[in-house]
Amino acid sequence: MITVSNLHKSYGKKSVLSDVSLAFPTGRVTSLIGPNGAGKSTLLMMMARLLEPSSGYVSLDGRKISEMRTSEYAHHVATLRQSPGFNLRLTVEELISFGRFPYSRGSLTIEDRRVIDEAINFLALESLRHDYLDELSGGQRQMAFLAMTIAQQTDVLLLDEPLNNLDMKHAVQIMQALRRLCDEQGRTVILVIHDINFAANYSDYIVALKNGALSFSGTSAQVVTATNLSELYDLDFEIIRNERGCLCNYFNLSGVRG
Amino acid sequence: MSQAVKIWTMLLLILLLALVFLLIGSGLDFDYLIPKRFMRLVTIVLGSVCLAVSSIVFQTIVGNRILSPSIMGYEAVYLLWQALLLLVMGTNGLMMLGVSGNFIVSIMLMLVYSWALHRLLLPRCKSDVFMLLLFGLVLTMVIGTVTQFIQLRISPGEFSVFQGLSYTSFNRSNPETVWYGVLAVATVLWVSRKTLPVLDVMALGREQSMSLGINHAKYVKLYLALIAILVAVSTSLIGPTAFMGVFIANIAYALAGSSKHKVTLPIGCAVSIAIFLIAQIFVEHVFNYKTSVSILVNLVCGIYFLALTVRTRGIT
Repeated sequence: MITVSNLHKSYGKKSVLSDVSLAFPTGRVTSLIGPNGAGKSTLLMMMARLLEPSSGYVSLDGRKISEMRTSEYAHHVATLRQSPGFNLRLTVEELISFGRFPYSRGSLTIEDRRVIDEAINFLALESLRHDYLDELSGGQRQMAFLAMTIAQQTDVLLLDEPLNNLDMKHAVQIMQALRRLCDEQGRTVILVIHDINFAANYSDYIVALKNGALSFSGTSAQVVTATNLSELYDLDFEIIRNERGCLCNYFNLSGVRG
Repeated sequence: MSQAVKIWTMLLLILLLALVFLLIGSGLDFDYLIPKRFMRLVTIVLGSVCLAVSSIVFQTIVGNRILSPSIMGYEAVYLLWQALLLLVMGTNGLMMLGVSGNFIVSIMLMLVYSWALHRLLLPRCKSDVFMLLLFGLVLTMVIGTVTQFIQLRISPGEFSVFQGLSYTSFNRSNPETVWYGVLAVATVLWVSRKTLPVLDVMALGREQSMSLGINHAKYVKLYLALIAILVAVSTSLIGPTAFMGVFIANIAYALAGSSKHKVTLPIGCAVSIAIFLIAQIFVEHVFNYKTSVSILVNLVCGIYFLALTVRTRGIT
């Protein structure tokens, strides 16, 4: 389980995250939501060890992550940020095999190849296997990067806005894949996400941040309420629930508040 | 064409070029002409390997394809040091320090410059390539101007010695420098041979490579140090190379068709050796030393580079 304790991050005098303490449940999908500049990505980056906290600490199964080696941490936690934009001349398969780097340092074993095949099958990327990344669409490339992260075989996956710039179909595919990772393989998935409807429908838990502080957190069913969301985003919300899920409508209600 | 076939073809081409270079119009003079040429051949191979490897590795760790060590001012620093040496100690200075002394001091200097870049410049423009490029160009210009200022203070004799240092050429190397170079390059290649997969992962960027368990800061330091040594060798052997590193790296990427370093590095070396050999053969036998290698290479590579940019849109 990942827990954060009294986490604080500031740049100079500007504080972007102050005194956040949380425990992320194991084997569940947790979404970090909140307006721009709320500190969601900052929190995620500190959990990924890509950013040093100003004070406080993050621990994994009771151990402080700052005391673990980078190479060891990569066996437990995988992070996916927005995929780099520059022209990488690599095939999908070559990219996914980087996911095995923490284990084999570049020379693949039979076991590694099996895991790579598994990741490819899991996301149904077989037809793209030998295609070059720079010739794929944004959605396909994001799937390839996700497959790399899956091949890393970590208990915890951290994703920073995995749906950015994707069309609805790819967004649904990615979210369904994350759901299955959690339900079928028991992995813990923590993601920063802007689309409140994806967050509400696909995640077990929701953590909302605003102005660098915790706004509310809890199971999706509990915390997705018109009052909570209106408070968080300064927008009027209407929550429509039926047996197929819930829809958070914030279009053309009475508009922006305050 | 598979990667192996490509590499073997290029190897064959280089062997052929090397034979042409050694034997053309030599009258099979094994006593004087051919040993002399052999020395130049070793210089070319060594300088080319340094240039190609340092450029490609540098581009990987800074994550873009328009920078090279020489653009970031490494060579300017080397020239400044040589000019200072001439100013303070005169031509005797170069003598006193000796070939090995100068070589070792140059490597130290490059290491210090590398460290300064790493500590001062890279953290400030983390992801901003254009800022880095601008800084590099301005630094190169400032250091170059200081060097020019020093040139005005030195005597004409010393000036001509300096002129010899500031153009790309394969004729100035002496055996001692070459053997030191071979030693240094062999060490660098030996140290880095196991870390090619690390480089492949580092091409994904700082954050992704850290997520894959690479101690990014440590490897950046290591590679910058190795690059410093390679640049010191290439600059003391063949002089400043300006934009050639960028040309060679990009031609190598285009030919390789893969971003894996086990493919791009050998192809880069092969491309660089082939280009320099062809240029040197032309300079010696067609233009009769009336033009220089750097002019020829910049002309040909420049045109190819332009064509490449237009055709594939977006080298960065």
